[in-house]
Amino acid sequence: MLELSFIERGIVAALLVGAIAPMVGVFLAVRRSTIISESLSHVTLTGISAGVLMGQVWTVTDISPMYTGFLFALLGSLLIEKLRQIYDRFQELAAPIILSAGVGLSAVIMSASGSGYTEWYEYLFGSIVSVRMEDLWFIIATAGLVILILALFFKEFVSVSFDQEFAKVSGIPLKKVNFLFSLLIALVISMSMKVVGILLVGALIALPVAAALNVAKSFKKLLLLSVLFGEAAVLAGVYFSYQFNIATGGMIVVLSAVLLLAVLAGKRLKSMRKRERFA
Amino acid sequence: MFDLFFQYEFLRNAFLAGIIIGFLAPVLGVFIVVRRMALVTDALSHITLTGIAFHLLLSQSAVFLQAINPLYMGMAFSVGGSILMEKLRHVYKHYQEIAVPIIMSSGIGLGVVFISLADGFNNDLFNYLFGSVLAVTPTDLTAITAVLVVVVILLVLFYKELLFLAFDEEQAKVSGIPNKWLNFLFIVMTALVIASSMRIVGILLVSALVTLPVAAAIQLSKSFKQMFIYSIIIGEISVISGLVSAFYLNVAPGGMIVLIALGILLLVIGGRKAGGMGVRKLRGRKTLEWRKA
Repeated sequence: MLELSFIERGIVAALLVGAIAPMVGVFLAVRRSTIISESLSHVTLTGISAGVLMGQVWTVTDISPMYTGFLFALLGSLLIEKLRQIYDRFQELAAPIILSAGVGLSAVIMSASGSGYTEWYEYLFGSIVSVRMEDLWFIIATAGLVILILALFFKEFVSVSFDQEFAKVSGIPLKKVNFLFSLLIALVISMSMKVVGILLVGALIALPVAAALNVAKSFKKLLLLSVLFGEAAVLAGVYFSYQFNIATGGMIVVLSAVLLLAVLAGKRLKSMRKRERFA
Repeated sequence: MFDLFFQYEFLRNAFLAGIIIGFLAPVLGVFIVVRRMALVTDALSHITLTGIAFHLLLSQSAVFLQAINPLYMGMAFSVGGSILMEKLRHVYKHYQEIAVPIIMSSGIGLGVVFISLADGFNNDLFNYLFGSVLAVTPTDLTAITAVLVVVVILLVLFYKELLFLAFDEEQAKVSGIPNKWLNFLFIVMTALVIASSMRIVGILLVSALVTLPVAAAIQLSKSFKQMFIYSIIIGEISVISGLVSAFYLNVAPGGMIVLIALGILLLVIGGRKAGGMGVRKLRGRKTLEWRKA
C-alpha cells in the first residue's frame, strides 16, 4: 500500500471510483434526479478553480483544491433545493441554473488565474497518471465514508428514493436524509474527479445504471449490476487508454456507452426472438 | 469604450455575432423553458463538442475538410443527438429523464476521445469550451447570420403551432397539429442556435444563455409576449456587456456573459422577494386560518 507506482495508484483509484459512483447513481436514477450529479460536478469545477486561485494568491495556504471543490458541491446541492422552492412551477430549471452558474464562474476564474491550460484539462477530463499518494488517501477515505453512510441509512435511502410521500408519512426525517444524500453526491463527485474528470463524472454515475436498469429485476440486483458494469468500464477504459494513449476519462465513458448500447441491443434481440416464438 | 469594437474587424465580428446570439438564444429559450426542456440544450451543446472534435480529427487526414467550418459538423452531430435522445426516451419509458444525462455524458466522453486522438488539448479547445472574443471569423459570422434568417423565418411561419405545442402538447396533437414534424423542426432550430452561439459563449455555457435570461423573465412577466421581450432585453444586456468587459478584463467571454445574466437573475429574484414579502404575509395568515378551521 505504501510503495505504489503511479500506474498502480491510478488503478486502485479507478477501481474505487468505478464501484462507488454507480452505487450512488442507482439511488439518483430511481429518484429521477440523475441530472443533479451533472450540475453538482460543474459546481465542483468552480470550487476547484477557486481553490487553485486561492493557492496562487495566498501562497501560505496549501489546501488541496479537492477540498474546496467538495465544499462547493455541497453548497450547490443545498442551493438547488432552495431554487426548487423559488421556481415551484418550473422545478427542472434549478439544475440548469446552478450548472451554468458554476461553469460561468469557473470560466472567469480559470482565465483570470495565470496557470496554463494543461492543468485545467487534468481537472476537466481527468488524468489517472497524476494520482498522487495523498489523492489516493482522499479517495480511500471518501469511499469509506460513502459506504459507511450507505450501509447505515440504506433502508431510509431506499424508501425515500422510491416514494417520498410514503417515507414522510412513515416518520423518516426527510430533510435530514435528503441532506445526507446531497453530502453523498458531493463526496462521490469530488473523489471521482481525479480519475474521470469533472465533465465526465456524471457519465460514470449515469451510464452503468442506465445499462443495469434494462437487465435488473430487483433493486439489489440493480445495485450489483451497476457496480459490475461500472468496474468493467473503468478497468477496460484504463487498459485501452494506456494502450492507445487516449484520455482515460473519455475512454471510460465511451466504453460505458458501448456497454449500454450492447445491453440495449441484446434486449431488443431477445424481445424479437420472443415475438417470433409467439408468432 | 466601444470605439475599439468598431475599429478592428475581428471585434466587430464578435460584436455582431453577439447581438444575433443575444437575440436568438433567449427567444428559443422561452419555448424551451415552457416546454420544460432546459436540460436538453445542455445535452445538445455537449454533443456539438463531439461533432467539432470529430471534424478536427477527420481534417487531419482528409485535407479537403480543413476548408469547411467545423461548426457544420457540430450542427450535424447535435441534430443527430437530438434524434437519438427521442429514441432513448422510448426505450426508457419509466425513466425518461435519464435520456438527457446519457446523451450528455456519452457526447462529452466521445468528444474527449476524439480530441485526444487529434492531439487537441490546447488553447483552441479552451476557446471552444468557454468562448472567445477573437474566435469569430467572417465565415462564422455568415453562418450565424444564415441561422438567424432561417430561425426567424421558421418562427414567424410556425409561431402559433409552436406556441400551442409548448403549452399543451396533448391538445395540440388532438387538434391535428403535426406534432412529430414540428418537434423535429424545433429541435433542429435549437441545434442550429446552439452551434452558432458556441463561438462566443462556448459549449459549456450555451445553455446558460438559453435558460438564465428566460428564468429571470419568468419572474417579471405577466404574459407570454412580455416573456419574449424581457428575455431578449436581458439576453442582449448580458451578451453585450459580457463581451465588452471580457475583452477589457482579458477573461473568457462566455464566463462573463453568464455571470452578468446570473447577476440579473439574482437581482430579479431578490427584488421579487423584497416586493413579495407583504403578499406572502397575507397568504401565510390565510393558510393558518384555513388550517384552524
